[in-house]
Amino acid sequence: MSRCAIKVDDAHATGPSMKPVSGSRTKHLFARCVIGVLVVVSTFAAPQFALGQVTLRDDRGVTTTLPRSPQRIVSLLPSLTESLCALGECDRLVGTDRFSNAPASVLALPKLGGIDDAQIERIAMLKPDLVLAAPSARAIERLEALGIWVVVLESKRHSDVQRTLAVLAAAVGKPQEATRVWTRIQAEMQMAAARVPASIRGQRVYFEVESAPYAAGTESFIGESLQRLGMGNIAPSELGPFPKLNPEFVVRAQPDIIMAARRNLAEMARRPGWSALAALQRDRVCRFEPEAYELLVRPGPRMGAAALQLADCLVALAGNPP
Amino acid sequence: MTHTDRRRRLLFTWCVVLASAALCLLGLISGSQGWSIDAALRDLTGPDAGLIIGQIRAPRTLAAWMTGALLGAAGAVAQGVFRNPLADPFLLGSAAGASLAVVLVLAAGMLGGQADGMVTTGMLSRVGLAAAAFAGALGGVLLTLMLARGAQHTLRLLLCGVVVGVVLSAVGDLVTQAAHDALRGRQIFMLGTTAFLGWDSFALLLAGVLAIVPLAMRLSRVLDALALGDDSATSLGLAVPRLRLVMVALLAAATGLAVSQAGLVAFVGLVSPHLVRRVAPAPHGFTVAASAATGGTLLLAADVLARTVIAPQELPVGVITSVLGGGYLLWLMHRRRFQ
Amino acid sequence: MSASLIRADALHVALGGTSVLHGVSLTLGSGWTAIVGPNGAGKSTLLRVLAGLLPPRSGVVWLEERRLSSWPARERSQRLAWLAQQGEADGELTVRDVVALGRLPHLGLFTPLGPRDEQIVDEAMLATECSAWQHRRLYQLSGGERQRVLVARALAVRANMLLLDEPTTHLDPPHQVALVELMRRLGRSQAVVSVLHDLALALQADRLVVMQAGRIRAQGAHDETAVHAALIDVFDRAIRIERLGDRYIVLPNLPR
Repeated sequence: MSRCAIKVDDAHATGPSMKPVSGSRTKHLFARCVIGVLVVVSTFAAPQFALGQVTLRDDRGVTTTLPRSPQRIVSLLPSLTESLCALGECDRLVGTDRFSNAPASVLALPKLGGIDDAQIERIAMLKPDLVLAAPSARAIERLEALGIWVVVLESKRHSDVQRTLAVLAAAVGKPQEATRVWTRIQAEMQMAAARVPASIRGQRVYFEVESAPYAAGTESFIGESLQRLGMGNIAPSELGPFPKLNPEFVVRAQPDIIMAARRNLAEMARRPGWSALAALQRDRVCRFEPEAYELLVRPGPRMGAAALQLADCLVALAGNPP
Repeated sequence: MTHTDRRRRLLFTWCVVLASAALCLLGLISGSQGWSIDAALRDLTGPDAGLIIGQIRAPRTLAAWMTGALLGAAGAVAQGVFRNPLADPFLLGSAAGASLAVVLVLAAGMLGGQADGMVTTGMLSRVGLAAAAFAGALGGVLLTLMLARGAQHTLRLLLCGVVVGVVLSAVGDLVTQAAHDALRGRQIFMLGTTAFLGWDSFALLLAGVLAIVPLAMRLSRVLDALALGDDSATSLGLAVPRLRLVMVALLAAATGLAVSQAGLVAFVGLVSPHLVRRVAPAPHGFTVAASAATGGTLLLAADVLARTVIAPQELPVGVITSVLGGGYLLWLMHRRRFQ
Repeated sequence: MSASLIRADALHVALGGTSVLHGVSLTLGSGWTAIVGPNGAGKSTLLRVLAGLLPPRSGVVWLEERRLSSWPARERSQRLAWLAQQGEADGELTVRDVVALGRLPHLGLFTPLGPRDEQIVDEAMLATECSAWQHRRLYQLSGGERQRVLVARALAVRANMLLLDEPTTHLDPPHQVALVELMRRLGRSQAVVSVLHDLALALQADRLVVMQAGRIRAQGAHDETAVHAALIDVFDRAIRIERLGDRYIVLPNLPR
């Protein structure tokens, strides 16, 4: 209201004007007051329309609303680290878990523990405005109690990976990037599928993830990739993503191809009855070194590269018929 | 021995023998197909019979029985030596020692500079892991004996066993912190598994049973005399500390062998002597042998269940023995309340 | 059978750092000797040292003119049978099995019981009247029944020396009397030493050893006045000893 008063004084000070003073004075006064009110109102209404405000729905079904696009992100899962970097937002990362090792730039970031022992203090000191975690992380409740935003994402299947990319892209305000990355992954998958020669298609694969033995079933992302490549799987989908199989089952199933880490393959023939596996006898195996194996078991943006790796092995096997 | 006692013992023996035979048969016909008579017949007559039955199911079945026998006998000896019906063969640090050894072997591969995304228990050959578990079990017991300065006093031995168990467990946890991927392998070990028992395992276990169980039976009079109290046993001419040491050594050997082949299978050692004592109480000569047979039957039953309940998937056999054993003890306590 | 001699020379015994026996010397031959004294006198400790269960800090125990410590465990256990003060015994063993354990010194760990052993077991159970329920299990027995079984176990050893620590605990009068008769009878050919709390029973023994605070105050025949005087003294004159016929009885010394 004092503004109005000042303006009235100014109007006085502007010099000789032949307008009738009372009429213009009222109109000016009214206009300025309206503008003043509008400015005041819009300040309070600003948050509803401000740019950068982000609403995310994570895998727990929890909706998180961040005041602005997060600039300091901590990722506690390697696949989420990779996804974020694939979206081009590696710079926003201020810390990762100890297992995140791709791309190479994240190796320089502070390592904050693993799923069970995330270092709460260090995470809090980094003052992140978003933490990405897997569902089993015990740190989630603690971090949220400290007022830190946590978004929980888990990828078990290909569709999960796509969804995760979409959520992360929405968080950084670049929804179209998710589509780009996913398209790239799909293209890589296509390329991988195209490479697999017809002679080897349809052969049944046993992919071992643990020597108990745990297999990668049709429902897992590895199984889905294999399916995309046109390969079969001895573990049917009813058994779930990573079933713990009776070793006898594998022997009876007589897989055409066995895929496993090199260490596991080294002792496989010694298991009772497994020496009878034709795949072992004829060396129809895909041996993966630790780095290659790690690539295969991460459900993230490098899934396409993983599929290509699988395809390369299959091509090699097809090239050397039994 | 009264007529009733003799009859009970005979009846018990027959029951266990028959149950074992039946379970062995079941073990041969059940596998990744679950409960299916057709499938079983097909297996028996199919071209792969020699492989499936001869190389996979037969050794697994027999080796599981032998493992249970070792644990059952060890449990009977433990309960006799400690004069405590809640004693089990893992009391003297053998379990903690074995799992620490397994973790160290797994971690050594990891810390040797090769980072795996996921751990595998096949990191070293199975022979290496089994040997480590056996050495670890014996090492744990040795540590307990050293701490207790021999087998002089039962209470001190027990306390030292508990302490050693806790300490070795903690060390195992520390190692797992440094080498995270060893966690998975450790869990698999601690749940117990009979999945990969082959003829070589069976041979080892059989040798163990033949060496240890008869010896324990021969020394069972010591356990009987110990029931009178240490001093009374000494006054009867027994060198109690030395004999107790021998018993502990037998205990360690039996437990170490069982654990090295099948991991930490819970409750079999605890429950087998209980069952024997409930049905056919007897001096320790019979109890040790009967506990061995009962343990074998129990573990074999658990193994068959593990294979068939969610076939073709498998449950860790230790989970089943825990459920069954824990359930039995709960039932026992429930009944006691109304006595 | 000549009774074996057990002799203690200047025994000094410590338990957990505390001196419990100070310069105890005594000689025991055939006959029934009762060791009496107030609580903490060291009676049980003395018995354990004589049984070879507790090594003295200084002093020697002689069994049949040989050092006790030089006797091999098995032969020593054939000559000395010891009964614990507090029955720790428990479990599923039957009465017969428990009594049969008394044959361990002669059989060792591996030899099974022969017909002679079974006969000895029968006689031992008969002596303490547990034959009727020989197939019941230890945990099913009352305190008194268990005590009789354990005494039978000691008897089954057929040792020359019986060292019994409080054998009459838990026993009701008829069984106490039976045990006293037994000990007296055995004393004619063997050396029976019993620590007794019950003075009335102790006075029926042939000899008495009166202890107090780790020392022997007096020892002698059951009718020696010096022994009686020592007894009254160590119990702070709370008792009176009177003669009744050819026996002595103990009465509480109540003010009139």
